[in-house]
Amino acid sequence: MTQLVLGQVLNGAIIGAMYGIIALGITLTFGITGIVNFALGEFMMIGAYVTYTLAERGMPYPVAVVPACLIAAAAGYLSNKAFFQFTRNNLVNGLLVSIGLISIFESASMLLWTATPVEMHFVLPGALRVGDIGLPKMKLVVFAVIVVVIVATYLALARTWLGRAAFAYAQNPEAAMLMGVHTPRLETAVMLYSTGLAGLGGALYASLYSLEPAMGGVYVLKGMEAAILGGIGSLMGSLWGGVILGVIEGVGSVFLPTAFRDAYGLAVLVAILLLRPSGLFGDE
Amino acid sequence: MTGQALLWGLLYALPLVVRSDFLLTIFIFTFIYGILGVTFDLIFGFTGQLSMFHPAVFGVSAYMTHLLAVRFALPFWVATLPSAAAAIVLALIVGSICFKFRLKTFYFAVVTLAFAEMIRLVVMNWNSVTNGTLGLVVSGKPTIYWPGSGVVPIKGPIAWYYLTLVCLTLTVLICSRCLGSWMGRCFGAIRLNEDLARTLGINVFRYKLLSFLIGCALASFAGALYGYYTGYIDPGYFSINQSMEVLAMVLLGGQGTLLGPIVGSFVLTGLPHAIDLRAEVRAMLYGAILIFTILVMPRGIVGTLFALRSKRDA
Amino acid sequence: MTLEVRGLSKHFAGLVAVADVSFAVEPGEIVGIIGPNGSGKTTLLSMMAGLLTPTFGSVLWKGSEIQALRPEIIAGLGVVKTFQNPQVFAELSVFDNVQVASHLALKRALGFRRGLEVLGAARAVERRLAERVAEVLALCDLGGAARQLAGNLSYGEEKMLGLAMALMCDPEILLLDEPASGLGRDEVHKLAAVLAKLHDAGTTLCLVDHKIGFLRGLAGRVIALNYGRKIAEGTPEQVLNDRAVIEAYLGVRQGAGHARA
Repeated sequence: MTQLVLGQVLNGAIIGAMYGIIALGITLTFGITGIVNFALGEFMMIGAYVTYTLAERGMPYPVAVVPACLIAAAAGYLSNKAFFQFTRNNLVNGLLVSIGLISIFESASMLLWTATPVEMHFVLPGALRVGDIGLPKMKLVVFAVIVVVIVATYLALARTWLGRAAFAYAQNPEAAMLMGVHTPRLETAVMLYSTGLAGLGGALYASLYSLEPAMGGVYVLKGMEAAILGGIGSLMGSLWGGVILGVIEGVGSVFLPTAFRDAYGLAVLVAILLLRPSGLFGDE
Repeated sequence: MTGQALLWGLLYALPLVVRSDFLLTIFIFTFIYGILGVTFDLIFGFTGQLSMFHPAVFGVSAYMTHLLAVRFALPFWVATLPSAAAAIVLALIVGSICFKFRLKTFYFAVVTLAFAEMIRLVVMNWNSVTNGTLGLVVSGKPTIYWPGSGVVPIKGPIAWYYLTLVCLTLTVLICSRCLGSWMGRCFGAIRLNEDLARTLGINVFRYKLLSFLIGCALASFAGALYGYYTGYIDPGYFSINQSMEVLAMVLLGGQGTLLGPIVGSFVLTGLPHAIDLRAEVRAMLYGAILIFTILVMPRGIVGTLFALRSKRDA
Repeated sequence: MTLEVRGLSKHFAGLVAVADVSFAVEPGEIVGIIGPNGSGKTTLLSMMAGLLTPTFGSVLWKGSEIQALRPEIIAGLGVVKTFQNPQVFAELSVFDNVQVASHLALKRALGFRRGLEVLGAARAVERRLAERVAEVLALCDLGGAARQLAGNLSYGEEKMLGLAMALMCDPEILLLDEPASGLGRDEVHKLAAVLAKLHDAGTTLCLVDHKIGFLRGLAGRVIALNYGRKIAEGTPEQVLNDRAVIEAYLGVRQGAGHARA
C-alpha cells in the first residue's frame, strides 16, 4: 500500500510540476503583459512531439530536448506577434484566441502524427531502490530537472535586473517605461520564456508518458486549475498549485475510483474558488 | 423589422422551392445549433456571462429524453419536459453557486466548465444507465398531432425541417420578448456595469440567474432534438468542443444579437459541407475563424451589418 | 423618518478613513458635509448607501439598521446615492440610461406581476414610466440629448445624467457625492435649481461638496469632517466660522479661497 501511495505521490508530483509549469507560464504572461495565453498547453505538446520525432530519428534524448524547446519558443513568439499582442488586457478575447489556436495546433498535430498515442523508447530504464520502494530512475531525473528549472526561475525573477523589471512593469507599466524597461522586449522575453518552458515540460513529459495530440488541451485546463488554486497573482504559488493538484489527483485515485480522477482536482478547485478566491497563496 | 419578417418568411417557404435533401439537412442542423447559439447568446452576449455549461444541458437533456421515452413509453414531447426541468435544476445549482460567490467572467467560465466536465465524467462512467462511451442508439421519433391524420411521427427531411424551424422560431420569440422587456434592460445593465446596476436597485444575482436558467432550459430542447434527429447519443455531447463550436458560431454571427447565432450556425454548419474537408482541417478552420472574428470583426457578421446600417442612418 | 449615522467607522488595513461619526438627517432637510481632501467624506457617504461595510457603527433608516444590506435593497428602501465620477452606461443612449433606472419604479408599480410586462400586458404602466423618464430628463435639462449616447456627453451633462438616473429611483433621501465638482458656473446654477426643486417636493438631501458657496446657498445644516472625525456641526455660518474648521482648511487654502457668495 505504501508503495502504491508513494508511487502515486511521486507520479502526482511530477505531473503536478508539469501542470505547474503551464500554470507558471499563464500567470507570468498574464501578470506581466496582461495577455491571457491558454494555448500554452499546445507549446508543451509541440515540445513533446518534436522531442519524440527527433529521438526516434536517432538523436540522443538530451540533445533532442534543445531544438524542441527552441521550436516551441519560436512558435510562441510567432503566436504573440500575430495574434496575442492584440488581446492585451482583454480577458475574453485572449481566451477566445487561445481556443482558436488550440484548435489549429491540435488539428495540425493530428494531421502530422495521427490521433494514435505514441511513446518514446525508454530513455533511462531501471529504478532506484530505496528500502522497500522502487523509484523509476527517469522519473527522478525529470523531477530533478524540474526542481532546477523552478529554482532557476525563482532566482531569475527575484535576483536579476530583468526579473525585477518584470515585476515593476507588472505593478506599474508607465513608471516602468519611464525607468527604461523596454516593454515590447519584456513582452517578447516573457512569451519566449513561458512557451520555451512549456516546450521543455513537454520534452520531459515525452520521456515518461505516451503522447497524443489532445494532450495540450488537457494540460492547459489543469494548468488553469493549478494557477487558480495557487492564486492568480502568485508565481511560485501557481507552481505549488500544480504540484498540489497533481498529488490530489494521484492520491485521490488510490482511494477513490480512478475514472473520476479529473473530478477530484475539479472539486477541490471549485471549493477553493468559492472559499478563498485569491487562491492558496495569492493576495486579495 | 420587416427585413426580419421577410427572412423568416423565406425560411418557412424554403422547402417548397428547394428539393435537395442535402440542403435541407444543413438547415436542420443550422436550426438545432441555432437554438443552442441563441440561448447561449442570451447568457453571454446579452448578460455578459461566459458560460461553459451549455454542453452539459445539451447532453443531459438528450440522454434523459431518450431514456424516459423508452423506459416509460412516453411520447417525445412529454419526455422533454422532465429533461427541461432537470436542466433548470442543474442550472439553478450551478448558477446559484457561481453568482452567489460573485464569480467574474473568467472564473465563472472555469467553474461552469468544471461542473460540465464533472457531469461528463459521471455520464461516461455510469455504464448501467448511459452505456458509457459506447453511447445509445435512438430509434424513436418525435410525434405530433396532425388534424385529420391523428398522431404522426416526424420522418424525413421536410418534416424535420419544419419541426426544428418551429422550435427555433419559438425560442427566438421567447428570448425576444424577454429581452424587449424590463428583464432585457436588467441583463444589459448587468453586462455593461454590474455595480452601477446594483445602485439602481437591480438585484444582480437574481437576473444573472434568471438569464442562466432561461438560456439553459431552452437549450435543453436542442439536445433532445439533436439526439432524436441523429439517432445516436454519446458522451461527446458534453465535450468542451461543443462549447467551442457554440462560441464560434455566436461570435462569427454576432454576439448580442438574436439573428447572429443563427447566421453563424448556418455558416459553420454549411461550410464543411460546401468545401469537402477532413475533420482535422475543419477543426483548424474553426480555430482560424474564431481568431479572425475576434481580431478583425469582433461584432460578427450581423453585428457589423447592424453597425454599418446605423452609421448610414445617422 | 430619519437617516441616522451612529458611531460609524471605517478602517482600511491600518488606515482609519472614518472614525466614530454620528449625526442624523431629518426628513426634508438639506445637510451638507464638508472637509479637506481625505477627510473621509466619500467613504462616509458610501457606507450610508451600503456600498461599503462599516468596521464599526451603524446606519439607521427609519429606525432599522441598513449598513449590512445590499446596495440594491437599500436603493429600494429609498436611499439613493450619486457618484463623484459620473457612473453611466456609456454604450446606451441617455433615454435608455434613465429607463434602466426605472427598474425600481416598475417593481413598485407591478410587484410580482412584472411578468405581465414580458407578455406585453402592462402597456399603461410602461407608458407612464416612459413619460416619467421624459419628465426627469426635462428636469435635468437633458431632454434634447435623449437620443445621444451617454458616452458622448460632456462631463457636466454626464453628471446631470447620473442625477437623473438617481431621481428615477424615486428616492426619499438623495446622497450626493460632490455633485458640483467639475461643473462650470452656469451648470452649478442649474444644479442648484434642480436640487432646490427637489427640496421643495419633499426629498431629503445630503450632499458632500467642496464648493462652499454652492453648499452655503443650499444647506440648512452643515457637518465638517477632518481626518475622518466630525469636528463641527451647525448652520453653514456657524460651521464656516468655526476655528477647528478653519484650521483644518488652512492646509488647503484653495478650498477655503473658493468660497464665493
